[in-house]
Amino acid sequence: MGDNKVNLPPGFRFYPTDEELVVHFLHRKASLLPCHPDVIPDLELYPYEPWELQGKAWCEGSKWYFYSRKASSRTTRSGYWHPVRPEEPVFTSSSCREVGFKQCYAFHSGESPHGIRMSWIMHEYRLPVGGASGRSPRRKGLMKIDPTTWVLCRVYDSEDEDGGGGGGGGVELSCLDEVFLSLDDMDEISLPN
Amino acid sequence: MSRGMNLSINGQSQVPPGFRFHPTEEELLHYYLRKKVACEKIDLDVIREVDLNKLEPWDIQEMCRIGSTPQTDWYFFSHKDRKYPTGTRMNRATTAGFWKATGRDKIIRSGSRRIGLRKTLVFYKGRAPHGQKSDWIMHEYRLDDGAASNNEIIGVCPAGDAMSEEGWVVCRVFKKKNYVKTLDSPQSPSGSLAEARLHSLSGGNSAILNQILSYMGRTCESKSDLLDKLNVVVSDGANLNKLSYQTKDNLSSRFTHLPRLGSSLGPNDHSNIKPSCYQYQPFDDVFLRADESPAFQVNQHGMIRDWATLDRLVASQLNGQAEVSLQKQQSYFVDDPSMSTSLPPHDDEKVPFPSQKRLTRPESHHDRDHDHQQNLHMYGCDNDFWGITTSTSPSSLSDGPLRYLSA
Repeated sequence: MGDNKVNLPPGFRFYPTDEELVVHFLHRKASLLPCHPDVIPDLELYPYEPWELQGKAWCEGSKWYFYSRKASSRTTRSGYWHPVRPEEPVFTSSSCREVGFKQCYAFHSGESPHGIRMSWIMHEYRLPVGGASGRSPRRKGLMKIDPTTWVLCRVYDSEDEDGGGGGGGGVELSCLDEVFLSLDDMDEISLPN
Repeated sequence: MSRGMNLSINGQSQVPPGFRFHPTEEELLHYYLRKKVACEKIDLDVIREVDLNKLEPWDIQEMCRIGSTPQTDWYFFSHKDRKYPTGTRMNRATTAGFWKATGRDKIIRSGSRRIGLRKTLVFYKGRAPHGQKSDWIMHEYRLDDGAASNNEIIGVCPAGDAMSEEGWVVCRVFKKKNYVKTLDSPQSPSGSLAEARLHSLSGGNSAILNQILSYMGRTCESKSDLLDKLNVVVSDGANLNKLSYQTKDNLSSRFTHLPRLGSSLGPNDHSNIKPSCYQYQPFDDVFLRADESPAFQVNQHGMIRDWATLDRLVASQLNGQAEVSLQKQQSYFVDDPSMSTSLPPHDDEKVPFPSQKRLTRPESHHDRDHDHQQNLHMYGCDNDFWGITTSTSPSSLSDGPLRYLSA
């Protein structure tokens, strides 16, 4: 991982769910609470060219994560980010409460709206207006900073093999294994191991 | 609160949010299993020991939880014991069922160096040999770098032994994914809607292939059991692509060598019709087209109910060369060494085919139709198997491809 802030044994990787990103990271950031672990950096300038993120954003498994201020314009020097589909809500798994929103963008090279779509994808997470967790009124005073200012972004190249996860073992039974299982009494057949 | 990246605080494991345990195979073998076998203390108790004979797969989830983050796979160490002192079979039975190993072990490499082997097992509920297959899969990793003896790996650990079949293994248990990947899983970004759709299509249409195979199987008496069982093979449509690339290396010694049915290179390319020549077509075309074909009809259970429907399905694939893949798929499952078939050179003999009108295509496709018809006869042990070759005389068939069959 190349980051000394996280001292975990080998095999631990940063693979957050949408819910974790919104609740544990983005919400704490917007509430001015320290994030734990504090691995996602703040990139003020936004939007970035995707290839500029290397070395600046937190990278794990070919994906980059960073915070930024929500910007109205998503045009960079060489292209622009264009939404792929409508914004989706992010729910908690336990209570099915809406805690944030996620928007997918694809990077296009050139000038809008005639750009050529490239393989870079960005997920941008934002909090709902008025705070994510419906805090009790007495806490409202702390929310002076507009919670929708901050967004959390994940950028990756969709052409990169989505590897790293599962360690190459895969979570599917290969078809060959299926065929062998279908044959009777595999245990009885001595195959050299 | 301390910096708090330690996994165990007061015996309770704490994983920082967003992090999950997803080791590579190299990490599992080279770091964790090595340490375990050498009796080195593995810090932080990430992977626990489990007695496989005492835990069902669903219990392993609880036992092997790491942190509070949702998990899709679970890891543990286990010590393999032989079932009988002199046998080679491992004792993997639990109260509710048993683990059954699949085929050959896969070699795990670190760079170019072999470091271990991986065995895949599936959990069956009930008792052998009548167990009911479940979706629980286990990958069992053991150290084996080939040339070096196990003693070197084990070191001075008194519990180690030199037998490669016994000893510590590290295992990953997970539930098989069937069709659609969840869209909000951490590893598959939501941008994979198209991919999910493909999987769902494959899954839905693999049922069609099931039916085709089961119909084929029923007319070949000795094969019916095999083919029925193999219907479960195609339940995971997303993986059918892999069969085509693996079968060549692994099944060629067990199954009939069949020539490539060379429609992708053109109908007259006879030079490619050789027993040892394999080229595979992806199955995606089959499944996607079957769904979109207007001629295709299934009843509410997704079953093909009559030959006409089956014929239409197959006919609808002709444009996409997909029927060639289909035929090849079937050929691998016909495990009869005596049935050494070879496609005769493409000659002018036209086998009458009542539905030929429907199959008539522009000239470039015509010969492919012929291949298709011949293939249909090859795989039908029963002359009237398809119920549509009523005008075919037995004598013409005996001169045709069927003469090569010895069913």
